Amino acid sequence: MTQNAEHVLDHFELFRGPEYQQMLANKKKMFENPRDPAEVERVREWAKTPEYRELNFAREALTVNPAKACQPLGAVFVAVGFEGTIPFVHGSQGCVAYYRSHFSRHFKEPTSCVSSSMTEDAAVFGGLNNMIDGLANTYAMYKPKMIAVSTTCMAEVIGDDLNAFIKTSKEKGSVPEEFDVPFAHTPAFVGSHITGYDNAMKGVLEHFWDGKARTVPALERVPNESINFLGGFDGYTVGNLREIKRIFDLMGVEYTILGDNSDVWDTPTDGEFRMYDGGTTLEAAANAVHAKATFSMQEFCTEKTLPFIANHGQETVAFNHPIGVAGTDKFLMEVARITGKEIPEELAKERGRLVDAIADSSAHIHGKKFAIYGDPDLCMGLAAFLLELGAEPTHVLATNGNKDWAAKMQQLFDSSPFGANCHAYPGKDLWHMRSLLFTEPVDFLIGNTYGKYLDRDTGTPLIRIGFPIFDRHHHHRRPVWGYQGGMNVLITILDKIFDEIDANTNVPSKTDYSFDIIR
Amino acid sequence: MTSLSATIQDVFNEPGCGKNANKSEAERKKGCTKQLQPGGAAGGCAFDGAKIALQPLTDVAHLVHGPIACEGNSWDNRGARSSGSNLWRTGFTTDINETDVVFGGEKRLFKAIREIIEKYDPPAVFVYQTCVPAMTGDDINAVCKAAKEKFGKPVIPVNSPGFVGPKNLGNKLAGEALLEHVIGTEEPEYTTPYDLNIIGEYNLAGELWQVKPLLDELGIRIFASISGDGRYKDVASSHRAKAAMMVCSKAMINVARKMEERYGIPFFEGSFYGIEDSSDSLREIARLLIERGAPAELMDRTEAVIAREEAKAWAAIAKYKPRFKGKKVLLITGGVKSWSVVAALQEAGLELVGTSVKKSTKEDKERIKELMGQDAHMIEDMTPREMYKMLKDAKADIMLSGGRSQFIALKASMPWLDINQERHHAYMGYVGMVKLVEEIDKALYNPMWEQVRKPAPWDRAGESWQDRAMAQMDAEAAALAADPVAAEAARRAKKICHCKSVSLGAIEDAIAAQGLTTVEGVRLATDASGGCGACAVRVEEILASAAAEPAPIPALQAAE
Repeated sequence: MTQNAEHVLDHFELFRGPEYQQMLANKKKMFENPRDPAEVERVREWAKTPEYRELNFAREALTVNPAKACQPLGAVFVAVGFEGTIPFVHGSQGCVAYYRSHFSRHFKEPTSCVSSSMTEDAAVFGGLNNMIDGLANTYAMYKPKMIAVSTTCMAEVIGDDLNAFIKTSKEKGSVPEEFDVPFAHTPAFVGSHITGYDNAMKGVLEHFWDGKARTVPALERVPNESINFLGGFDGYTVGNLREIKRIFDLMGVEYTILGDNSDVWDTPTDGEFRMYDGGTTLEAAANAVHAKATFSMQEFCTEKTLPFIANHGQETVAFNHPIGVAGTDKFLMEVARITGKEIPEELAKERGRLVDAIADSSAHIHGKKFAIYGDPDLCMGLAAFLLELGAEPTHVLATNGNKDWAAKMQQLFDSSPFGANCHAYPGKDLWHMRSLLFTEPVDFLIGNTYGKYLDRDTGTPLIRIGFPIFDRHHHHRRPVWGYQGGMNVLITILDKIFDEIDANTNVPSKTDYSFDIIR
Repeated sequence: MTSLSATIQDVFNEPGCGKNANKSEAERKKGCTKQLQPGGAAGGCAFDGAKIALQPLTDVAHLVHGPIACEGNSWDNRGARSSGSNLWRTGFTTDINETDVVFGGEKRLFKAIREIIEKYDPPAVFVYQTCVPAMTGDDINAVCKAAKEKFGKPVIPVNSPGFVGPKNLGNKLAGEALLEHVIGTEEPEYTTPYDLNIIGEYNLAGELWQVKPLLDELGIRIFASISGDGRYKDVASSHRAKAAMMVCSKAMINVARKMEERYGIPFFEGSFYGIEDSSDSLREIARLLIERGAPAELMDRTEAVIAREEAKAWAAIAKYKPRFKGKKVLLITGGVKSWSVVAALQEAGLELVGTSVKKSTKEDKERIKELMGQDAHMIEDMTPREMYKMLKDAKADIMLSGGRSQFIALKASMPWLDINQERHHAYMGYVGMVKLVEEIDKALYNPMWEQVRKPAPWDRAGESWQDRAMAQMDAEAAALAADPVAAEAARRAKKICHCKSVSLGAIEDAIAAQGLTTVEGVRLATDASGGCGACAVRVEEILASAAAEPAPIPALQAAE
């Protein structure tokens, strides 16, 4: 017996033992109708061909290995960014379990979120009762300052009217009349998690600015000198928002981060459980209407929110997840322009340091080809940074990217000689990416954790930048925005490049003549 | 066994050294030890020089006898390549402690040698002396001798403690160690008429291997490589080679010359940097081997290979010429590369605006003049500030230099390419030249430079520190231009001899007052060139222009 109580083996080792190997082999042989290994190999090779790629790209109905998540995930992301707010997802509880585990696996922090636990009869008769009971229980049990409601597909398919349901719930005494319950319809069969971010953020602002579902008068905007900041759906939100706050503080800018989840996803271990931590205060969210302008770091995450804000009389500025020198320059210049603040020496130095670091090591990145996938704005920010470094973002793929995004990507490619042979792939999935990597190989792949299969299958080393990152810890604590964030991205890319060089030169007496100490 | 000081003196007398040959008897006695300026930041030490010269010998154990500093810093720090053993990369040191300093470290050294032989059984152990045990009096020659007798293995003392002088002296002392203890101690299994020693080549980034296939094709055997990808046994029997090629002209000239003297192995100085240099070197190799008895048809085959390889390389480089049109290069490096790379770069259509000759011999300089014309900009000791200004004034589009100068280029926002030892690309031979051109192209067109050159978008014109520094330098220049007296004073204040701190004015005055005509005379009168002697060439130039026109001589400004 390979396993024994004296020395318990984990799955890495245990199933490599002879008994298990034998058992698995027998099982395959006797019960699994095994294919001829040569045939398996033939098909494997065939899947690498341009012929297969053509068939793959002709796919109409099937999505294989999607690089996107659903709307309510984005809604939950927004909700936990407000003070004392619990996300309430109207629909089935299974969905909610997904969001919670998804975020917890990425941020390594609990994510509190409740569901109205709709069941079959709710699906038939409507979910009103679930909403009434759900809001009451949530209010009683978790003592939130606000409950942010979003929906799953189930509620959307039967057409539950959140506005009416919440009103009825309040009438029935689930929560006090004046209690804040913003809402957004977030069906997963429309858009992706970035759409959900957009809808939920707009829902919260609409609630506070436009009279709390007509229960109070709409706010009168009295313009002040403050600015609002929207990060968009961002796997690096903890590090990024802290970096943005530091930058704004250095510049002396008055600001409101709308949806600040940097504390709730990074609570200290000191013996106290914080169901809620930090976050944008409800007062600040309401007062944000008076701001001079609103900045969105991710245009495609705020397609509805920004026009909504603009309609209230603010100037709005959208970026595409700026990474690197030029992107950060543009961001800071806009902040300086709108606020009239100087860019302090400290940031000028950080800029110089990033330029210096790029100059020191760009020779290793220059001329290399990359494939990138992820959310539309992140893809654009990364591609722009790579072009800045003289690399070619050969394949840029966003499952949740649309035609506008593809057109914008093309503009970006056209702006640099290094973009000449680069293409954007909107609406494609990671199985498409697999074909791209086989037929038009690149040096490195940038993407989330799921890219490890592409790394393994195609031999394209994966640089983990994106969401979710499940199999590496704590990346979300490091910013990718600002000059210091650009530095982090640069180092992440370089580390992989050097790891690859080492991995390719480490066979003793064969390749290790280049296994060098100095790179 | 000669004493260290005698060995050093012997090295100073090296007739194969162009610089030495230029010196007077008295100067030569003082040696070529460039007195490092106290407070200066330049240069390595003799130990470093010896270690880097021998470290590429791959199958021997290199044991550094000294405190951790010496091996701690030199362990595996060069990109040499081995086609076999990797023992050279293992860091061996006696790592001496306080007790060893007080009571002597000889026993520890002996034990360390024993442990290496017991555990690694290398064909030889090289023992490097360092400052501390040299000062406390550890006799490594005696220890090595005893160890050799006891263990029946060659144990080679490399007596080059850091304090005896600069890196270059260490290179030569390393050569002396080979001459005294290694070369000629073994016999080869067989010899052929095609046996060639390559001396002063270190196989950095594996560049020797870019040339080796051509030699293999011609049937020429690299008999011993000293020391890149070298083997102990090959070096020990290298005295049976038919001819030798001397690559790094300053580092190991003593080895090549003494092997000629002792074993009748003719050598030539050549280089595989650049297309024409590679061809010339192949021809020279063939010529020497034929002289020593190889069949004459070797030359025909060599010419055929040259023609083929040149055509290929030219074709590959030709496509870069339009991209390099009007691009200017500043070359800051030492020794052999200054002239051999000049030719290479010119072949690629680049314009050279200057080359440093800090480590070059008089002969090197002559070659540069041949290649770049009489008005070649040879930069003697360019200060970082001068280098900066030169780059900034866009007199150069790219700087090629060793790793330590890169930062100046970066701060001046200039493209830069490393061509010294820490580089990771091999530039030797025909293919190497294509690689170099490719790398220059990449460096020139790296979009990163745009980013580097552009000030932060919020900077107002003239306020960046670069702008201020340039404005200050321009203002100083303008002030001098407006004030002939001050300009003359500044011109005369230019340091010619850094060791003895002698200005151009002092030398001119001495020449004028005493009617001096020789470097020796200037040295006696002013002390100029009385230190390292490197400025003797410049003193000669001053003498020449004084003879031509007794009026004030234009100062030899860096790059001007």
